[in-house]
Amino acid sequence: MNAPGITEPTEAIARARAGDAEAWGELYRDYAPAIFRFCRRALPTREDAEDATMEIFMKLKAKLVQYDATRSFSAWLYKVSANHCWDMLRRRKIRQDKETDDLENVPLEHPDPGQLERLIEQRTSAEVRKALDKLGGRARMALVMRYYSDMSYDEIADALGVRRAFVGVVLLRARHELRQALEGNAALAAGGTS
Amino acid sequence: MSNTPEEKMKHLDEMTLLLYIERQLDRARALEISAHTQECDSCRTLLRAMERESRLLTRAMLEEDEPLPSRLAQFQERARKSMQWIWGVAFGLAATGVYAFYTEYIELWLKQLETAGFGGTNLLGLLIFQGTLWKGWQSMITLLEVLAMVTLGGLAAMFFRRRIRRGSALALVFAGLCTVLAMPQGASATEIRHEERLTIAKDEVIHGDLYAAGGRIRVEGTVEGDLVVAGGDIEISGHVLGDVLSSSGNLRVTGQVDGSVRCYAGNLLLKGKIGRNVMVAGGDINIDRDTKIGGSVTSFAGHETIDGHVGRDVLAMGGQVTITGDIQGSAKIRSGELIIDSSARVGGPIDFTSDNAPQVSSGAKLASPVHYEKPKHREDYHNVHYYIWQVIWTAAYVLFGLVLFALMPKFSADAVKAAVNYGASAGLGVLVGFGLPIAACIACVTVVGLFVGLATLSLWYGSLYFGAVIIGAVVGQWLMGRTSELWPLIGRMAVGVVIVRLFTIIPHVGWVFKYGAAFWGIGAISLVVYRRFQPVIAPSVPSAPYSPPLPPNTTVGGAVPA
Repeated sequence: MNAPGITEPTEAIARARAGDAEAWGELYRDYAPAIFRFCRRALPTREDAEDATMEIFMKLKAKLVQYDATRSFSAWLYKVSANHCWDMLRRRKIRQDKETDDLENVPLEHPDPGQLERLIEQRTSAEVRKALDKLGGRARMALVMRYYSDMSYDEIADALGVRRAFVGVVLLRARHELRQALEGNAALAAGGTS
Repeated sequence: MSNTPEEKMKHLDEMTLLLYIERQLDRARALEISAHTQECDSCRTLLRAMERESRLLTRAMLEEDEPLPSRLAQFQERARKSMQWIWGVAFGLAATGVYAFYTEYIELWLKQLETAGFGGTNLLGLLIFQGTLWKGWQSMITLLEVLAMVTLGGLAAMFFRRRIRRGSALALVFAGLCTVLAMPQGASATEIRHEERLTIAKDEVIHGDLYAAGGRIRVEGTVEGDLVVAGGDIEISGHVLGDVLSSSGNLRVTGQVDGSVRCYAGNLLLKGKIGRNVMVAGGDINIDRDTKIGGSVTSFAGHETIDGHVGRDVLAMGGQVTITGDIQGSAKIRSGELIIDSSARVGGPIDFTSDNAPQVSSGAKLASPVHYEKPKHREDYHNVHYYIWQVIWTAAYVLFGLVLFALMPKFSADAVKAAVNYGASAGLGVLVGFGLPIAACIACVTVVGLFVGLATLSLWYGSLYFGAVIIGAVVGQWLMGRTSELWPLIGRMAVGVVIVRLFTIIPHVGWVFKYGAAFWGIGAISLVVYRRFQPVIAPSVPSAPYSPPLPPNTTVGGAVPA
């Protein structure tokens, strides 16, 4: 789970921990683009993403001592980023009450596979990104954590403050929201067969 | 849909398929799903569609659709550049200071000395103690004050740099400024006046403190609080019930001050009544015959004449001190010359340190003879005691370093690493090494308060020793290699301290190593302190756990790959 094309920067981390500004700059240059994209996907506006990226890196400076060098640096970095973004969203009360209701009523049905297949075939990456903007905070956050930074269910549960058992529910609900945004097809989004 | 209700009942639900794709099902269940999708077209198609959905999501998210904004691209660069700016200022200030000092003083003195036919044998003594040549007090003070103010301003700017990003903080700063600006207009007890020619008339009464600045200031009236005044030419002929704090070219106190007088002045004339103490730094100080000082006198001056009455002790350092008046307490004097006239009366012991013997008139009424001591200028390299003391000092340094490294391992290690950043730490060393004590001295005699000033001065003094220890560690690392562990670092520090101390005892140039190491070290410490001062955002508050009820018939959990 590295930032694309980057191997674990063990030496740079050790130097940055010791206060080496150059090493810190190295880490920033290598990871800032990935973290910015993470924030860009997770947060509503570009400005939010820029602010969050800077704040995450400032936070990292202080938190770097807590990093366990035996584990993946980028995984840890994404975890810190996810916590930061989710906190940001929570502070703005973007998480709506509606989202909590959704979890209780996930339909366990079998949607029309053909219809879903057609929808996926017809949509481009750009359209998916645009649709992401229409999602609720938690749904969006869950999708970004899972499909951008490849975080585990445990990590997602921890970041979102839900039980691990419900991470799948959150993700499925998020997919439904996304399909709805892509198609405007309530029936499909609800997961029901026609 | 083509599925009959019976068939539909057998189909897998979407939740199960998602967990299967995400490898969240236990092995047995995953095998069941796998077997079912081999046989069931509809479930297989749905499974593939969902897998494609996952891939589409990942692709959409990972695609680099926009470059890193320039604000972010420059974020690190800007931070680095801002530091460079600070180093630029530090070196610029140091260079300006050295240039100004040379052109304003050294060159001038050298010319005067040449004309007067002086050799260079006791140049330092002449430069420091000969009042006739020490006419540059005022501009010297101004230069140093500017330096100190820049240091303080720089520190404040560093402190607020991040904070003013937020609108609320900015509003707070503006509100604060407005409050400060509005204060003089309010019914406050403090009055602030700034005029080129300012006169507080004889019948005028200031009910509270007066802050005054101007070219020519006359205080003929009454100030019921403290008088804080800065100007070219100041005369206080009225009555100040509080203290007088002054920085000026000329200051004459011919009236009455019930509190203390603390001042810088090129020329100071005291002719009135001072209720408490006098603390003064200046070129020429005259305590006139009519003066009555209730407390003690502490002075640093080129020329000082004490002709009046001093209720307690006198501590004087300077070029020439003449006592013709009455000192009730003791006198400690370290100056080029001491003249005690026949009219003088000193109630306590007199300690005098100088190259020149005191000139004491036989008519003077002294409680005890002057205790005269010649200062030692040179180290006695032939005396074994000197070397014993050097060993003791070195051991003390190592011990001091050991304690500090053990108490603050991270800070010390950071400081050692910062010291390797030669340019930055040396530059900051010059700035803080010179600026901080000046700022502290200013704090001592101005409104900020004696306590803050003395505390800062002590901190600075301690940091000089700590700085030397840090540089010892750097030298040790040069010889024995770098380390990030505590005890090996302490070992290197000990070796390095011994080497640095050896360099400091080299005749004539030893002091360069001594002070160079201390200032370089203080720069490294300041650098670490600066880095620590960078604002840290509070760690995120953990989200409140949310646990909705489990949806019926949902199989979740288990991370065994399918």
